[in-house]
Amino acid sequence: MSTQVHTNLTEAQVTQISEELGEPEWLLDTRLDALDALGDLEMPEVIRTPGRDWTNLDALDYETLVDPLEWEQEKDRVDADGVDVLSWSDALDQHGDLIEEQFGSVVDSQRDYLTALSTALFSAGTVIYVPEGVDAEDVKIRTTMNSRSLFNYTLVVAEESSSVTILERQTTGEKLDGDQYYSGVVEVVAEENSSVQYGTLQNLDDDSYNFQVKRGHADTYATLDWIEGNIGSRLTKTNVETRLLGDSSESKIVGAFFGHEDQHFDIASRVWHEAEHTTADLITRGVLDDAARSVYEGVQDVGREAWDTSSYQRENTLMLSEESEADASPKLIINNHDTEASHSATVGQVDAEELFYMTSRGVDPESAKNMLVEGFFVPVFDEIAVDELREDLDDLIVERLQA
Amino acid sequence: MSSDQDHLKETDTEARFEFKKEEKSAFEAEKGLTEETIRVISEDKDEPEWMLERRLRALEQYHEMPMPDDWPGAPDISEVDVDEIVPYIRPDIETRGGVDDWNDLPEEIQDTFDKLGIPEAEKNALSGVGAQYESEIVYQNMQERWEEKGVIFCDMDKAVQEHEEIVEEYFMTKAVPPSDNKFAALHGAIWSGGSFVYVPEDTTVDMPVQAYFRMNSDGMGQFEHTLIIAEEGSEVHYIEGCSAPKYSEFNLHSGGVEVFVKEGAHVQYSTVQNWSKNTYNLNTKRAIAEADATMEWVSGSMGSKATMLYPSTILKGPGATDNHITIAMAGEGQDIDTGAKVYHNAPDTKSTIESKSIAKDGGRTNYRGLVHMANGAEGASTSVECDALMFDNDSTSDTMPYMEIQENEVDVAHEATVGKIGDEDVFYLQSRGLDDDDAKQMIVAGFIEPLTEELPIEYAVEMNRLIELEMEGSLG
Repeated sequence: MSTQVHTNLTEAQVTQISEELGEPEWLLDTRLDALDALGDLEMPEVIRTPGRDWTNLDALDYETLVDPLEWEQEKDRVDADGVDVLSWSDALDQHGDLIEEQFGSVVDSQRDYLTALSTALFSAGTVIYVPEGVDAEDVKIRTTMNSRSLFNYTLVVAEESSSVTILERQTTGEKLDGDQYYSGVVEVVAEENSSVQYGTLQNLDDDSYNFQVKRGHADTYATLDWIEGNIGSRLTKTNVETRLLGDSSESKIVGAFFGHEDQHFDIASRVWHEAEHTTADLITRGVLDDAARSVYEGVQDVGREAWDTSSYQRENTLMLSEESEADASPKLIINNHDTEASHSATVGQVDAEELFYMTSRGVDPESAKNMLVEGFFVPVFDEIAVDELREDLDDLIVERLQA
Repeated sequence: MSSDQDHLKETDTEARFEFKKEEKSAFEAEKGLTEETIRVISEDKDEPEWMLERRLRALEQYHEMPMPDDWPGAPDISEVDVDEIVPYIRPDIETRGGVDDWNDLPEEIQDTFDKLGIPEAEKNALSGVGAQYESEIVYQNMQERWEEKGVIFCDMDKAVQEHEEIVEEYFMTKAVPPSDNKFAALHGAIWSGGSFVYVPEDTTVDMPVQAYFRMNSDGMGQFEHTLIIAEEGSEVHYIEGCSAPKYSEFNLHSGGVEVFVKEGAHVQYSTVQNWSKNTYNLNTKRAIAEADATMEWVSGSMGSKATMLYPSTILKGPGATDNHITIAMAGEGQDIDTGAKVYHNAPDTKSTIESKSIAKDGGRTNYRGLVHMANGAEGASTSVECDALMFDNDSTSDTMPYMEIQENEVDVAHEATVGKIGDEDVFYLQSRGLDDDDAKQMIVAGFIEPLTEELPIEYAVEMNRLIELEMEGSLG
């Protein structure tokens, strides 16, 4: 298959990446195992209904997209008092044992073809270590992609009773001829009574393909919130997932996207309730213009032992153009009856009455529509703890509306 | 309340639904599904050549198509082995096309239907009864005044002979082609019996038309086909009820329903399904609604080991409307996977889906639904509501809706909730003097009321009895 890149990848290439980063033996072994598994792994699951593939990942030409030994990028890391925000080589020097213990404990490196590829080839990334009891705000990472492909790996470990808010920004630097491929894995370990908010603002070039897996474990009393802002890329496939493993743990998965031209966003939010008294809230809002297309999947899975669960999900899509398309599938999987669970999804247009009200107050129709679209995202803005993320997301939305 | 309860208990629900008659058949096809079997069936029915050809083509498609087992969370139907099912059993009676008078039926069969309450329903001035015992309609009655208006209600085999032109045009050509899915193909190959309803232009059938299907033979599949054609401006309500006795071997039910709702017509199709707990109930039901037509599906799924049933409507003409009300109840060992499919293919089409499900004693219910808004369906709107009630921690309740929106000028809303039976509600009723069982039964009866209020009274009563029967086990 032309879409499968692994036939051209060699152990020597993977070993070279590992050596250049000065990695220990166990990490090289993990990479080689992932490389070895590629032949047997399937593409990430996408929704298919009769006559319709919601996202077609097989159509991508991974062979030309992936250049394993080029990883030109710029990384800005802004740390906060008491928190280590480190490159992989520094992190392996300073926290070798911790990383060996936690790496791959949340994201199965062989969950699908693209994740295994990402694990085998990652050359960029960050380790964020929040020691016990430390409260930190506004850790920031900016990744600027300057190569054909970039494989990024982020590991966050928040120890007992610590808290941290993180903003990750993904952009493209110098424009290359042809398409680019960004692949990111984020693992978050939220230990007992910790609190983590991990926000991402993705604004890659319109010629790039973007695959992301973000997954976290929340221990007892821990809170793990995700903010997922998608503006750029031609095709994005993201999986944002929390396993609520400890009693009374909580998670929010908040998403915002604004697609235009021929962009395709496939956004999945999933939560597993696996302990007692856990709470989850999934909120996604998206706007589609031109021929943009969105796919949303939300899963609330309540396990047999998840007594006293509360689980909510809302997804709202606004369509601004005739050519746009929106697919949505919010799913409830409930195995414990001591549950209060609900989900809702809507697809619609800018409300005609609201528009009329505003124009009757003297606002011109274009500005009125733009204000209503911006306002549509307010429930998402309200959830964002990092001011810079909220402001930047808002700016990008306004910019797109005025384009 | 208590006198109602006593009354319900006196009706001896257990005896009504769990009984079995000695098998006695004139003809039993050989086990296994081959071209030869199909030819025998077709020849025995004295069918025209085109019908035999359609059967054989469907058989080919059946062999080529994959099992629908790769769906997320699909029920386990691996035990369905069509070769083990005698596809065709004809009751041992003299009149092949059914009899006109109840008293002409063999005593044994009369007895079976007596327990199911058919004569009572008849007496209650229903407009027609078609009762299917095993694979063929054995009883048909149509009130004369409908016949005068040109309304046709007869068994499907008879329709192939007597209304050949209409059947040839509509039978598995437009709504449910055999290529739709593996079990539709199977159905196309070995269908037998079922009902044919034709309502001429501007004719209103103001009382429900009903057919009662049963299976009563070991290892036997039931593959009845229902074809309803409602011409422009007409109106009809068709009711199908199913109740099968319990058996040790598995049974397969794979029916096909095709409904054509012409311009401005109105069709309601109601089903209460209570197949025995070892039946695999895999049906394909589809309606095509033309301009300003209304299609309504009302379904209650109580029985079967596994059900996969998603009645679908294609809203083809502008202004067409589709309403679904579906109730599912799954107890021990049951997997009820049901829902609805609606295709909005024209402007200003509307649909509503209301789904209620109850899972208890380790049973699983799943709502699986699809709403598709095609490009050009301006002004279309849909509203989907799913509510699920769970009785205990061994049960599973899933909700899997799919929405595909290709048109921007639409209004799409989906909502679902899952919860346990409210402790406060139970406490309130107990404080009013009801015991725990009665309180829970009352809450469930209230929960499914949207379905029961759509049904004629005798079906609503039967529905309540079935639920009471189901609840007795769980509350014991």
